[in-house]
Amino acid sequence: MEALEFLKKEGFPILESRITISEETAAAHAKVIGFPVTLKISSKTIIHKTEFNGVKTLLLNEKEVKSAFNEIVHTFNILGIVRDLDGIIVQKMGRGLEFIAGVYMDRQFGHVIMFGQGGIYVEALKDVTFRPIPITRKDAKAMIEELNIWKIITSPRQKKINPAMIEDFLLKISDFVEKNNMIEEMDLNPVFISEEINICDARIKICSENS
Amino acid sequence: MFDEKLKRLFSPNSIAVIGASDSFDKLGYHVMKSLVKGNYKFPIYPVNHSAQNIWGIKAYPSILNIPQPVDLAVIVVPAKSVPDVLYECGKKGVSGVVLITAGYKEIEAEEGKILEDEIKRIASEFEIPIIGPNTFGFVNLTDSVNASFTYEFSLIKKGGVTLISQSGGFCHICGFLAMEERMGMAKLMSLGNRVNIDFPEAVRYFMEKDEATKVIALYIEGIDEPKRLFKTIDSIKNKKPVVAYKAGKGEKGDEASRFHTGSLAGNYRIWKGAIRQANILEVNSIEELIDTAKVIDLCPFLKGNRVAVLSSQAGPGIIAADTLLLSGMVLSKFSSQTQENINKLLPPFAIRTNPVDMGPAWYSPETILNILKVVADDENTDGIIFIAIFASANLNLTKDMEKIIEGMEAFKKPIIACLNAPQGIWDEEIKILDGKKGIAIIHTPERAARAMASLWEISRLKD
Repeated sequence: MEALEFLKKEGFPILESRITISEETAAAHAKVIGFPVTLKISSKTIIHKTEFNGVKTLLLNEKEVKSAFNEIVHTFNILGIVRDLDGIIVQKMGRGLEFIAGVYMDRQFGHVIMFGQGGIYVEALKDVTFRPIPITRKDAKAMIEELNIWKIITSPRQKKINPAMIEDFLLKISDFVEKNNMIEEMDLNPVFISEEINICDARIKICSENS
Repeated sequence: MFDEKLKRLFSPNSIAVIGASDSFDKLGYHVMKSLVKGNYKFPIYPVNHSAQNIWGIKAYPSILNIPQPVDLAVIVVPAKSVPDVLYECGKKGVSGVVLITAGYKEIEAEEGKILEDEIKRIASEFEIPIIGPNTFGFVNLTDSVNASFTYEFSLIKKGGVTLISQSGGFCHICGFLAMEERMGMAKLMSLGNRVNIDFPEAVRYFMEKDEATKVIALYIEGIDEPKRLFKTIDSIKNKKPVVAYKAGKGEKGDEASRFHTGSLAGNYRIWKGAIRQANILEVNSIEELIDTAKVIDLCPFLKGNRVAVLSSQAGPGIIAADTLLLSGMVLSKFSSQTQENINKLLPPFAIRTNPVDMGPAWYSPETILNILKVVADDENTDGIIFIAIFASANLNLTKDMEKIIEGMEAFKKPIIACLNAPQGIWDEEIKILDGKKGIAIIHTPERAARAMASLWEISRLKD
């Protein structure tokens, strides 16, 4: 949640979300944000949210939000780890193709940017591409076109995605990390891309020497 | 200053071989053989403790006893003697050193690293550029300088490809295949452990200072500061095309590379992106490296990706067309004028549109060449794959081609040709035709098509 807040302040497109600890406010937030929504746990200790049954998607109304909220809390109660829970995030549901973007520190190249196809098959498909930072618009364009998912982005049935918008997004990440080089790692996952870009979740690791 | 020294290193006016020998089981014997049989035109000074003459040439006990100046010293003495010998080279004022001896950073024992640091220190004290240690040497085909322990490199055709390699073994296989594939080379070298000449220094020198080099081929396993190489290339104006073969792609390769030349191979996926970012064309096999470098050296660049396939037999033409399409190229659609001209030359017994089956012109080399000329003038075609496979009836094709092409102007578009025949039939003609007037001969239709696609990528990267 903190990483998302930080990125939002830096002008990154973040999927609208609010955190709460009560069933009633969760439903109220959902109403304000607009259905469908996703509920997910916010926790510093639990990284793989889905494995703990901590994510509920495609909630269409207040009733569904409330019952999803209770289900999550119930699971954590049974597991006896409810104290690891900071709250539950109500987030607008992401639409479009699912991507991942990130920044890593390579021992030979320094900061590198990564971009690729997201979703549950990330590891199997390995449809990702890397460039040392900083990148130019030409690099950003080449990165997108290198991906297998490029064929889907440009398919006649997929008219909404403007490749220049993705280029801007990658340039913004490169620029951001150049200016904030205490960032050691950054994971934007998932990022939904349709006619707009929406970062759904993020993790940022700050370099221990500088922080 | 350093550039002037590198020039004297790569094109020396005199060479001392320290550790020269007359016995076949010593590397010093083979270095002498390379220089002598490789027709080195300037004085050679063998240096050996005890011998009076080596290879029939007067020998000296130390480089300091040579009365004349020495540009290049090739060192082949055991690792422990190298610091003393190198110090003498510094005293003598040599411009450069090829340090063939191995047993430094690349070995597991700690003393290897200590010795290498000592060499580094002496080299910087006297400002001597060093190729190596742990190298087979270098070969300058342009000026007939074979400063390596493999004489046979002198048999490679002279041309515009310069290979800068981290591995000597890679240079050997690449050099021998270059002979088979008639790839013309300017220089080839293995940088070994890279005491002070690393990829950036070598690439900059051959891009900026060596006219004979038209295209640079790199074989990289791992370098400690890859960003320095890419920044160097980026900073050079009027860049020459670069193709690179990156090895050490898996984790095992990473380790092997460190033991090979002392550097880790790194994360291949990041390397891939960095290579592309630097406008370098990545190749993924030795054949691809040779085919690509050769066509860049011999052919004009492509202005577009529209290719015509002209084949004297349908099958190989279809294979070439398939490969072109899979590699991002398109088959050109001839202008009506071109099509009309082809139709005049070919009876309607086979396909006359692209890919053209020239089968009906089987008996007439002249017709086949006229079709080539007509298509070379076609405004909708950027490059041509020309295929002629031997069959008894077309025995004279290449001979006639040779005669007709001799009188023609150079093609302004790349012509990549496949001329395949049993050994001993078209050999001489193929040798003469390869490289003539913008024609490059590549071994098979698939490889020809892929080379065309690579040439298109390089042509685009240039802008």
